[in-house]
Amino acid sequence: MTRPTNTKVALSHLTSRVKQTIVAVLSVTFGISMYIFLNGFMTGVNDIQADLAFSTLAHIRVYNDLPEDRTDLISDDQLPSKRVNLRHPKVIQYSDGIINADKEMSILNQYDEIIGMTSQVSMNVFFRNGSTKVSGLLSGVNAANEDKLFGTAASMRSGNWLDLDHRSDGIILGVGLAKKLSLGMDDNVFLKTGDGITRNFKIIGLLETSLNSIDNGKAFIRINSARQLVSKNLSYATDIQINLRDYEKAEAIAAQMRQQTALKVEAWNEANGQLEAGNELRNYLAVAVSLTILLVAGFGIYNIMNMTVNEKIREIAILKAMGFEGRDIVEIFLTQSVIIGVIGGIVGILIGGGVSVMINSVPFEMASLETLPMAYRKSDYFSAFGFGLLTTFIAGYLPARKASLVDPVEIIRG
Amino acid sequence: MESTYALDAQGINKFFHHPAEFQVLKDISFKARKGEFLSLVGKSGSGKSTLLYVLSTMDTDYDGTLTINNQSLTGKGQNHLAAFRNANIGFVFQFHYLLPEFTALDNVMLPAMKLGKRSKEEIRQKALDKLQLLDIKDQAYKPANKLSGGQQQRVAIARALINDPAIIMGDEPTGNLDSKNTDIVFDIFRQLAKYEGQTIIAVTHDDDFAAKSDRVLELSDGYMVR
Repeated sequence: MTRPTNTKVALSHLTSRVKQTIVAVLSVTFGISMYIFLNGFMTGVNDIQADLAFSTLAHIRVYNDLPEDRTDLISDDQLPSKRVNLRHPKVIQYSDGIINADKEMSILNQYDEIIGMTSQVSMNVFFRNGSTKVSGLLSGVNAANEDKLFGTAASMRSGNWLDLDHRSDGIILGVGLAKKLSLGMDDNVFLKTGDGITRNFKIIGLLETSLNSIDNGKAFIRINSARQLVSKNLSYATDIQINLRDYEKAEAIAAQMRQQTALKVEAWNEANGQLEAGNELRNYLAVAVSLTILLVAGFGIYNIMNMTVNEKIREIAILKAMGFEGRDIVEIFLTQSVIIGVIGGIVGILIGGGVSVMINSVPFEMASLETLPMAYRKSDYFSAFGFGLLTTFIAGYLPARKASLVDPVEIIRG
Repeated sequence: MESTYALDAQGINKFFHHPAEFQVLKDISFKARKGEFLSLVGKSGSGKSTLLYVLSTMDTDYDGTLTINNQSLTGKGQNHLAAFRNANIGFVFQFHYLLPEFTALDNVMLPAMKLGKRSKEEIRQKALDKLQLLDIKDQAYKPANKLSGGQQQRVAIARALINDPAIIMGDEPTGNLDSKNTDIVFDIFRQLAKYEGQTIIAVTHDDDFAAKSDRVLELSDGYMVR
């Protein structure tokens, strides 16, 4: 019986001061919509950043790491009786690259998470056209697999990416590189490797990724042609690139892979700490700003509920005189702030979503973007509502407690 | 054994500590019979209102013992006292203290809804009966803030009566009313005491009002002198 009565009193307070109620609701609405918008925007930026980064970067890279230090070969051997055969470190031969990449790939390709895997033969070369000489990176790739991992085919300005698999003398250049060399489609370009081997390739495509490091300094040829250039066997590769369904899991999967191969397995975030740091920092920023906004909204509600308590203090006194207990009074005022929180939350979610859509359609033509980025994650909406409700609950509880401690005698006697 | 006393106060002493230590009630003892109409009079500052609020159980900061309806109330917790007030004491104040947005009927129903012993429909019927008793049933569905002062005070009395309390306490219940409405309120109290057996304790400045009641208790400087 008390409950509906308390609710009725609470509703009468809300409806008797419509303006204040609306202001309180709006402050929650504002807090929640900003929370949603900011987090959506930051997530959108992070996603774009990741998309851009992962257009050249695989989630996991497997390669043959050279020993770091070749000068001290006996310090590990503590046993005095052990015989050691010492050679000058400069003459020790280490094998470069992955000799049997196919075998390694079949060993590693056993995780459900893996959605793509390709081998590459990469090397630094000189590109040459007449007297113009430009150094750059040459990658021998399997065009179909490469496209599966990085979506390279979508970045072609001219020519067809997949032709690379059929043309042993074909090469695809970054547009910037081609410009530096004053070359266009169907022109010939000379390559010179580190070992002094030269070969002539025909340009069958130009690539424009919006990433300067690629566009201005990278070229692709068929992987077997690259193996020829470095005089290696048919299963040779310098790198194995692996993409996962969820790039967040790269570190965990890489750790498992290390158990299965002697090669170096490197997750994207180990090699590119700045990417992850950027993501993390933007997330912190979004959370900090949006929680601050919610806090301000909370102060707004606290203020308004405090005013209500002061305004209704005689009413509270009479209710207590008539036998309403402290917890009834708390309930009456907490009901009000929860109603404000729920209404503000629902409206805030709608407005937050609306603002996100609007911002998402603002033109922003930089890098590969057309409009400002935005992510729409259910979890943002849920946590915005949750935080909003929590804020209103706390902001409402303090005045409610104050109201419950009102001494009716003091108020009624004046 | 059922006592015939509705209220029994023994050795009530009370001190105000602020701004200075001051004894406002000095060893007050009295009993009120069921159905007795008591007036509590005295000059300003004599302690009569203070005594009323001690008797009302709202003020618990006193020495002595207070028994209402054979229940000892000294030293009980706030929530226990709140529930006790709800069921056993009705209040009428100088100012009506109605909830302004509630209708007259809702205001009257409020203490009974809190008590929760009857269905809403029963409470509603009872509230209408009480309003009828006070001759303002026609105003039942008007918001309290749309009523005149005399009507509001009668609604407040109806609210005090809704749970059929053993004791009705008034703090200058007619202080804001003209003589016509004062007479009406007095007659209602008179009838309640006589026919319903409810005990009335009213603080008043109105000598006529006091003179017409069953017994007058007079306080002076914290002592009960009559």
